[in-house]
Amino acid sequence: MQDNRKNTKFMRFIFSAILIISPWIIIFAIKNNIDKNNFSTHDIKIVSYKADTLPKQVDHSQFEILKQVFNTPEEVTAACLTCHNERHKEVMAGNHWRWDREVVRENGEKTRIGKRNIINNYCIATNTNSWKCTSCHTGYGYKDKNYDFSDSTKIDCMACHDNTGTYEKQPLGSGYPVTKKENFEGKTYFPPNYNYIAQNVGSPEINNCGKCHFFGGGGDNVKHGDLSSDLFHANKDMDVHMDENGNKMNCVSCHKTERHVMLGKAHSVSNSNENRLYCTQCHTETPHQNATLNTHTERIACQTCHIPVYAKGVPTKMVWDWSESGKLTETGKRITEKDSLGFITYNTPKGRFVWATNVEPEYAWFNGNAYNYVYGDKIQDTSGIFQINKLYGSYDDPTSKIIPMKVHRGKQPFDPENMILIVPHIYGHDSAAYQENLDWVKAAAHGMRIAGLPFSGKYSFIATEMYWPLNHMVSTSDKALTCTDCHSREGRLKNVAGFYMPGRDRSMLFDIFGIAMIAIAIMGVIIHGTIRYIKKDCIACDVD
Amino acid sequence: MKKRTYIYKGFERFWHWTQALLIMFLAVTGFEIHASYNLMGYENAVNLHDISAWMLLILIVFAIFWHLAVGEWKQYVPSSKLVKEQIEYYITGIFRGAPHPTKKTSYNKFNPLQRLTYFGFKALIIPLMVFSGILYMFPGLFPMLKGSSIIPVLHTLGAFVLIAFLIAHLYLLSTNHNATESIVAMITGWEELHVDPKEEHKKHMQKAVDKSIAGYYRVNKSGIFMDVNKAWLRMHKYASSDEVLGKHFAITRDAKDLKDLEDTFNRVLAGETVIGKPVMRKCHDGSFGKHVLSMNPTLEGDVITGVEGFIIDLPDVGALQPQMDNIVRNSNAGYYRIDKNGYIVEVNDAWLAMYKCKDKESIIGKHFSVTRDEKNLGRLNEIFNNVLKNGATITSEVARRRCSDGSLGKHILSANPVYEGSEIIGMEGFILDISNLDDVKA
Repeated sequence: MQDNRKNTKFMRFIFSAILIISPWIIIFAIKNNIDKNNFSTHDIKIVSYKADTLPKQVDHSQFEILKQVFNTPEEVTAACLTCHNERHKEVMAGNHWRWDREVVRENGEKTRIGKRNIINNYCIATNTNSWKCTSCHTGYGYKDKNYDFSDSTKIDCMACHDNTGTYEKQPLGSGYPVTKKENFEGKTYFPPNYNYIAQNVGSPEINNCGKCHFFGGGGDNVKHGDLSSDLFHANKDMDVHMDENGNKMNCVSCHKTERHVMLGKAHSVSNSNENRLYCTQCHTETPHQNATLNTHTERIACQTCHIPVYAKGVPTKMVWDWSESGKLTETGKRITEKDSLGFITYNTPKGRFVWATNVEPEYAWFNGNAYNYVYGDKIQDTSGIFQINKLYGSYDDPTSKIIPMKVHRGKQPFDPENMILIVPHIYGHDSAAYQENLDWVKAAAHGMRIAGLPFSGKYSFIATEMYWPLNHMVSTSDKALTCTDCHSREGRLKNVAGFYMPGRDRSMLFDIFGIAMIAIAIMGVIIHGTIRYIKKDCIACDVD
Repeated sequence: MKKRTYIYKGFERFWHWTQALLIMFLAVTGFEIHASYNLMGYENAVNLHDISAWMLLILIVFAIFWHLAVGEWKQYVPSSKLVKEQIEYYITGIFRGAPHPTKKTSYNKFNPLQRLTYFGFKALIIPLMVFSGILYMFPGLFPMLKGSSIIPVLHTLGAFVLIAFLIAHLYLLSTNHNATESIVAMITGWEELHVDPKEEHKKHMQKAVDKSIAGYYRVNKSGIFMDVNKAWLRMHKYASSDEVLGKHFAITRDAKDLKDLEDTFNRVLAGETVIGKPVMRKCHDGSFGKHVLSMNPTLEGDVITGVEGFIIDLPDVGALQPQMDNIVRNSNAGYYRIDKNGYIVEVNDAWLAMYKCKDKESIIGKHFSVTRDEKNLGRLNEIFNNVLKNGATITSEVARRRCSDGSLGKHILSANPVYEGSEIIGMEGFILDISNLDDVKA
C-alpha cells in the first residue's frame, strides 16, 4: 500500500514535469524547422534592375561622316552633332560641362556653386590652377576663367563615349588630347586615332568615368577613398556590384542617365538633396530576412553596414597639411619623403600627407543637404576645426540617415583679417606660383586677385575637415558589419549622437542602482542565512 | 492538523514555470543586448529575446484570463493584515524558531508579504516590462519617445528588479518547512499543508449541504423560504430556487396536510426540535411524494429567527403508517464521511447516538466494516465501491447497522461521493433511524 502510494506520487511528479516541459520542446522544434527552411536559400531581393544584354543598336563605323579624316577633336564633336543634334544643349546644361549648378544656400540666396567657386582641402581651388585640373572637364581648352561655356564645338564627346579605351588626355592639356607623342610623369601619351574612336562610340564604360573620377585630387583614389583604379577590374571582394566575374555592373548601371543628367552626386561639390541615387533603386526597403534587421533601414543607410572599409586596394589620402610645406634641407634643397609603398608623405611645395588603406569609415547623420564653402564665405568661429562641406542631419530630423564617410583632414591657408579661406595660386611657372617660390603671400595675393577676393596680406593656417559620403566598394554580405560593430560600448557609432542605442548606451546611474539592488539582495541572503545557520543549533527544528 | 492538499492547479504550474524560464532567458539575452557580456552573439540574443518576449506576452494574456476566470486573482489582493507580524517573523522570529505567523491554505496560498510582493510583481514590474518592451519593439507607437533613453532605461531597471526578486524568491523557499517540498509542490500541485479543522469542517459542511442528496431548507419566522438546496428542489420538482424563495411553505403541502406542518413549524419556533418525521409533500407539478423531515430552530444569539432542516426522500418505502411519526420521532439524521480507503473520517453526534458510541475518537479512523455484521457488510461494500468508482449517489437505502455494543439497528441511508477537484476522495451521507419501523422493508 505504502509502496504503491510512493510510486503513484513519483509518477505524478514525472507526468507533471513532462506536461510543463513538452510545450517548450514542441515550440523549439517548430522554430528550428522554420529556421532551417527559411535560411537554406538566401536570395537577394532585387526590384527593377535588368542588365542590358542587347547588342549595340547602331554601328557607327558605317556612317560616312565618321570616315572622314579628323585633324582636331572639335571636328569629331561637330560630326557627332550632325546626327545627335540638340544633345549638346543637354551636355552644356550639365555639371560635367558647367562645373557648377544652381543651388539655394542656407541664407536663402540663390546662386551657382561648383568646382569653379568652391574650396576643398586638397589642392584647395581651381581658379588660376584650372589648367592643371581641366583635363577632366568634358571640353577642350578650359585654361582659365575666360573659357567660353557656350561654345558647343568645345564639347568632348569622346571622353565619355569612347568604347575603344584608347582615348587619353595628358593631365596638363586643359582638356586637349596631345597632338604629338609626349611623355608625362613616366607615361607616354599618343595622339588619338579619331576615326577609330568615332566609329566605336557607345554608352560609357567604367573606363570612361573612372579615368577622371578614380583620379580626383590628381592621383589614384586620392579624393574619394571609395573610387580607385581597383574598380577598373574589381572582384567581389572589392565591389560586389562591379565584380568582373559576377554582377559585371558598370557605373551607369546605377548612375542612370536620362538626357545627359546622371543620378548621383558628391557632396563635396553639391549641397542639395536632389537627383541622388539610392540602393533601393534595385533593392527594397526591407532587404533582409530578419525583421529586426529590416527596421534598421529606416534610419541607417545601406552603405553604413555594407561598406565596412574603403580604400581596399590603392591607398587614399587622409590628411594634407599645407602648413608644413616650404621646408628645405640645410643646403636649401627641396625635400620629398616617401613611405614604404612609395607614396609621398612629405613634399616641400605641398606639405605633409597621410595615406591609408582598408580604412574604417567615420559616421554621421545626413539628410542629403550640405553646406559648401564658397569663395569669400566668412568663417565666424575659428576656434575649432572648420567643416568645409558640413553635412546636415540629425536624429531628430526624420529624413536623416546614418551614413559612412571618409573624413579628409587638412590645414590650409587662411586670411585671418578677412576671415576667409585663401585661394592661392599654386601651380604655374610664374613668380607668384607657390610651387615655384614657396611664398604664401605672393601666391595668395595673385590667387585672390584673380578670384576677385580681398586679401589682407597676412595668412595663417586653419584646420579643416572635408566629408566624402561613401557609396562604392560595397562588400559581400558576409563581410558586412555585424551587430556588435555598433552595438557595443566602443563601437563604430560611438560618436553618432541623438538617440539611445542598445549595447552602446546605458544610464550609469540606473545601472549602478540595479547592480546595487542585486548586491543588496545577495548580501541580505548571505547575512540572513548565516544568522539562521548559526541559530539553527539552538532552536527546535520542527516548528509545527 | 496537516493534510495533503491540491494547491497549484495545472495551468498555474505551467504558467509559473514557463514564466520563470522565460524571464530568466529574457534576462540572459537581455543583458547580452545591454552589452554586459558576450554569450551567444548579439544577433542570436536579439532574435531569441524577441521570440521569448512574444511567448511571454501570449502566456501573460492566458494567465490574466485564467486568474480572472478562476477567481484566483483574489489571492493577490494585498491586505495589511498580519504584514507587521510577517515582517517581524523574517527579521527576528525566524531566528528564534518561532512559528510562521500565517498558515498556507489552498484558499489563502500567500502570506501577506507574498501577497504584497506578487501584487507588485504583477501590477507594476510585469506591466512595466511589457509596455516598455512593446515600445522598444515598436517605437512608432509612441513617436515622442522614439530614440529616447527613457524606455530602454526603464526596461533595464525592471530587469534588475526581476533579478533581485528572483534571488529573494529562491532564498525565501528555504524559510518554508521543507524547501524541496515546496518546489515539488509547484511541479505536482500537491503540498502538505496545515489545515484549520474548524475552517475545513465549515467548508466541507457547506459543500455537503450543497451537494447532498438530502434536501435542505431554511424558513424564516413568517414561514417564508429563505434557502433550499438542489436536492430539495429536485424532490419538489422545481427548476430553480427563484420559484421557491420568498414563498410560504404552504406551497409544499396539500390542504389536508398543511395543518400538520404548521403545527410542527410552531412547535419548532417555540424551541423544540423535530427529527425523522415522515410526511407527504406536494410537488410543483401537483404530484405527491414522501420524505422524512427534520426541523430545528435557527438561532441568532438566543433569538429564534426561523427553522431549518433536512429531508430524505422515501420513494421505495411502502405506505408509511401514520404512527411512524411517533416511532421515528426520537431518531435523528446522522452524518458520516469515509475516505477513499474506507476509513471513517467524520461523523456527527446523531450518528454517534445511533451507533451507541461514547465519543468520536472511538470511531474516527476505523474502517466502515465495524458498522456492519458479516451478513450486511457485503451490501455496504457494494455501495461504497459503487459510489467511489462510479460516482453513484444512493438514496433511501434501508440498512442494518451494528452498533458499538454489538446490537443491531435499522436506518435509511444516503451516500454520495466526496470530490476534490475532479477526484473522488471519499463518500459521505446521512442516515435516519427507523429501527422501530418493523414493517418497513427494503
